[in-house]
Amino acid sequence: MKPRRRNNLFKDIRRHAFYNACLLATIILLSIMLLAGTIVSTSLRTGMGNMQKRLGADIMLVPKGSKEKAENMLLEGSRSAFYFDASVYEQVSGIEGISEVTSQCFLKSLAADCCSSEVQIVFFDPVSDFVVAPWIETEYKTGLSGDSVIVGSDIASEDGTIKLFGQEYPVVSKMARTGTALDSSVYFSTDAKEELLKNAEEKGSFLTEDQKKSGILSSIFINVKGDHLVDGVIEAAHKSIGDIFDVVYPKKLHESLAGSLLKITGVINIVSISLGAFLVAILLIINSIIMRSRKQEVALLRVLGHTKKRLIGKLITEMGVISLCGAVLGCGLGALIVIPFGRLIGNSLNMPYLGPSAGNTLFQILFIILGVFLIVFLSSIFFIIHATNIEPYLALRREE
Amino acid sequence: MLSAEKISKRYNNNRRQILDSIDLTLDEGEFVAIMGESGSGKSTLLAILAGILLPEEGQVLFDGKDLYSLSDAELSEVHRKKIGYVPQSNFFLKNYTILENIVEPFVNTNDADPEELSEKALAHLDRLGIKDLADRYPHELSGGEQKRVALVRALLTDPRLLIADEPTTGLDSETGKIILQYLSDYVASGHSVLVATHDEHVKEYAGRVLDITKI
Repeated sequence: MKPRRRNNLFKDIRRHAFYNACLLATIILLSIMLLAGTIVSTSLRTGMGNMQKRLGADIMLVPKGSKEKAENMLLEGSRSAFYFDASVYEQVSGIEGISEVTSQCFLKSLAADCCSSEVQIVFFDPVSDFVVAPWIETEYKTGLSGDSVIVGSDIASEDGTIKLFGQEYPVVSKMARTGTALDSSVYFSTDAKEELLKNAEEKGSFLTEDQKKSGILSSIFINVKGDHLVDGVIEAAHKSIGDIFDVVYPKKLHESLAGSLLKITGVINIVSISLGAFLVAILLIINSIIMRSRKQEVALLRVLGHTKKRLIGKLITEMGVISLCGAVLGCGLGALIVIPFGRLIGNSLNMPYLGPSAGNTLFQILFIILGVFLIVFLSSIFFIIHATNIEPYLALRREE
Repeated sequence: MLSAEKISKRYNNNRRQILDSIDLTLDEGEFVAIMGESGSGKSTLLAILAGILLPEEGQVLFDGKDLYSLSDAELSEVHRKKIGYVPQSNFFLKNYTILENIVEPFVNTNDADPEELSEKALAHLDRLGIKDLADRYPHELSGGEQKRVALVRALLTDPRLLIADEPTTGLDSETGKIILQYLSDYVASGHSVLVATHDEHVKEYAGRVLDITKI
């Protein structure tokens, strides 16, 4: 029979259950939209930034007919294998106008005991390299030698080593995450190639005839000097090694994707702003209805001695609790939708997509909860103050 | 204790003059009834005297202080402790029980202990014959029962002045008499009561009956 001593916050919220449920639903939608928009935009931008790091060459020469495979490998990390005779590297290196040149050799689909799935193995020359190094995120030890490796971000190496074809290799560095299949690649110095292939054969791994050859490489990355034309270097390469190669333009690939990214993020922004404005308008309408329906209650409490300040505090607290619940639920639902399907979203947009880390996601969620609270606060404060400023008798008389 | 000087009030953007230069005084321990036709301005005058409707002109002095020059905090304190008001319409918080409706508005705002307030509320309800309704909800009560609950809510903090707008309107004569007797007993215990009504029975209880057209 005894009434409770303290404020009945949730009871007061339940008293206006229908309108508060509408308010909660709107806040949930707003939070989902804000979180999804933020995570997708950030992931696309991060994916693009990361791609820029690994597309750090003006041109990439690949064997004739391998252009599409090479582009897919650069953009999506698709596992590929295509080969030149290694002698072309020496010939291309001598061309005038080249400032940097390096080569890589890819082996795909080698089942390895390090990993549950097949891995892409990349051999590169650490001395001339300018493509792999900028992409390294964590360096455990310096210097890559024939008996050590650099691994993609998804390769687990708990004790600092990985085992490939019966041989243990110390991990000296780990690459930054790309959000593509390249995250399960293993990078070796070219010096390690012969021994690795020998081990692979001994362990029964299937190697193609091309892969068994020692003098092979898959691509040549070139940076052109500032005072030379890219086309001039390509023409010189044609003259030097003949029409045996296709040209991939990694930086142009990035520029083209960056243009697409701008369009996509533009669309995301326009949709987010339009939908956000619509939801804020709904919030304003709901808040207006809620406060109109509570004018008599506010008036009665003022007649019974509640100050305006206390009433404003009580109403803001109720709004705050609803907005907090809505924002937490909305962010939770938004995260459940966006995070697991991130890769799918990236693929459907045909863009590099690199989801944020757990810490970054948490930061974004906290930021959105705060933002939603502010939006709800700003959309309700006018109506709250208005309701407390109406003369109590006039508000009570409207009830009559 | 209460004096109103030259009170004027207009409605409809100043087009309708409802009160014109009204003067009124109320002393400690008085039971005053203001009578008049519907629409004559009784409720408006009571609201102005209660400090919940700003007059266009004039002032309302309670214990020598103009109610409308007090700060919001000071006026709220007057409403909490010194002036109780029973509105004409019965307004309650719908998912609160009767006892909660009476006590909760004062919890955390008054110096009084909530348990003390509950006991006091139950004692009032008991004297008005509706103690057994304490755990019911407002929509379960009749108009007369609701009016008695509203009266208890206004009396809970023992205000020196109780202002009740049409406390017996729409009630059967028996319930009306219960309420008027309760108000009369309240006056007898040293408090003041001001009511607006067109219930002729009030003349049997009020010490002074004023015709609003002649104030």
